[in-house]
Amino acid sequence: MPKSITFKANSIIYFQGDQSERIFILKSGRVLLKTLDIDTGKEVNEVINTGEFFGVKSALGRYIRDETCMALTDTEVLAFSVAEFEQLVLSNTRIIMKMLKVFSNQLRRIHHKVEKLLNKSDAETDPETGLFKVGDYYFNNRQFHQAAFALNRYLTYYPQGQYASQATLRLQESERYLSKTGGSGTAAKPAAAPVGMPGMGAPKPSGGTGGAKQFYEAVGLISQEKYQDALNILNEIITGNTDPENLAKAEFEIGRCLTHLKKHDEAIRHFTGLIQKYPKHPDIKEALFLIGKAYEGKGDKPWAKNFYEKVMSMCQEDEPTAIRARKALQAISGGMG
Amino acid sequence: MSSELDTFKRFGVDKKAGEIIFCEYEPGDAFYLIQSGKVKIVKIVGDVEKTIDILNPGEFFGEMALLEQAPRTATALALTDVRLMEFNQQNFDVLMQGNPQIVLNILKIFSKRIYDQKRRFMILKLEEIPARVADVFLMLDENMAKPEDPDDLSRTFQTTPEDIAHWAGISVTKCVEVLTSLQNQRRIEISQGKIVVKNIAEFQRFVNSRRRTKA
Repeated sequence: MPKSITFKANSIIYFQGDQSERIFILKSGRVLLKTLDIDTGKEVNEVINTGEFFGVKSALGRYIRDETCMALTDTEVLAFSVAEFEQLVLSNTRIIMKMLKVFSNQLRRIHHKVEKLLNKSDAETDPETGLFKVGDYYFNNRQFHQAAFALNRYLTYYPQGQYASQATLRLQESERYLSKTGGSGTAAKPAAAPVGMPGMGAPKPSGGTGGAKQFYEAVGLISQEKYQDALNILNEIITGNTDPENLAKAEFEIGRCLTHLKKHDEAIRHFTGLIQKYPKHPDIKEALFLIGKAYEGKGDKPWAKNFYEKVMSMCQEDEPTAIRARKALQAISGGMG
Repeated sequence: MSSELDTFKRFGVDKKAGEIIFCEYEPGDAFYLIQSGKVKIVKIVGDVEKTIDILNPGEFFGEMALLEQAPRTATALALTDVRLMEFNQQNFDVLMQGNPQIVLNILKIFSKRIYDQKRRFMILKLEEIPARVADVFLMLDENMAKPEDPDDLSRTFQTTPEDIAHWAGISVTKCVEVLTSLQNQRRIEISQGKIVVKNIAEFQRFVNSRRRTKA
């Protein structure tokens, strides 16, 4: 049972450096927490209000108190053991949520401070360069699986970034290597998919589920060129379905609808997200081809060209997607002079 | 038991050994709890992949992404085949309702990490490099079980110049230089994978004096 304890004005509830597993709530009176700011060395005071907790962090983290706690007026507190505190907050999750926000905020602030001190001596790396370098490192060390992952991420976040062309080349080469060695990179054939994603690519015996029915309805609408209606149904599948097979297929079809609706930016974003989420998606080449189409639709020929070339590098020469990519490439190359 | 299975169905992610879970510098939007297998946390420093931590079932990682999509500060790789629970802002409420104990554990981890980061900050705040190195030993000592005999002031640390350099925010070369000079002064002994500090109280006095003059 939590214990009620009273303190006279100006008495100390605990000292900095004490080891204790007690957590307090202030019932009445006023309490002051005194800390030394780790940055400036100056004393910082914080007043606790009625109903607030204190002593939580050191008790939960099992380290010494890092502040001295003093009663300013005659004060009554409720003292909990860690176990009692846990019982209380588990039945009142809003408290956990609130504390989580406060703690995560503190953690982020102290993390930033540490990073700032470190960067005095270390040159700061911007996220774009950093991400590319991670991919580059794995590529140079012939860890193609990791390289492909990092480079894919790079191209997703920075499709027009300063290292985009290098990243694309390295990615192609990584994928070529992975498909040659039978590694399950993004270029893996659908037959290899069950290793990483059970159910994907292979039809499921339980075909008659609601999700599947909706899916075929959507495909039907697409064939009738009713893309907006199809999109609505596909979005319903996404929100209501957790079957990874239907989900992956629906996501792909959403991208197709967006392409047909000439929502180019949305289509690019959607397909890059899809490739990232399902690196072994059986329609990955088609998705890349459609990204190229979307860039072409936007009038961005160099990028369209990049993607068409990538599709061709991943396909056998006589694959339908490769043939379409080659045609598209010839068409825009002609236009570019 | 069945609620645990439900939880897993909603949040579960499987990764094969060697697969990257997330990459340093990419924006983070999820954090993870390891259900089975091991996860390696690495950073690419120059031309070296440096292992920062190896995590086991029951441990969390990526939790800084909980409330803000800041860039990842390290890369997480599956060291073995792993099964993870993935949480993000969208499914966090569901987790909170169904399994508040997990969220409470995150709160505890935050408490501990705030302390660790503060301690690290205090080390980095010291201007003199030898004082930083000495303070790293003090920090390592604080996290170790105390010896039975309180008069025993010698301490053995399972650590390497790389680790110490990391905590002190200095280059490994500089760190080795400081350690060598400490060894020449017979204050420490360096051997394979471990460092013996002859008198930890002496280190404490040294660091205290440097910290006081600064403040």
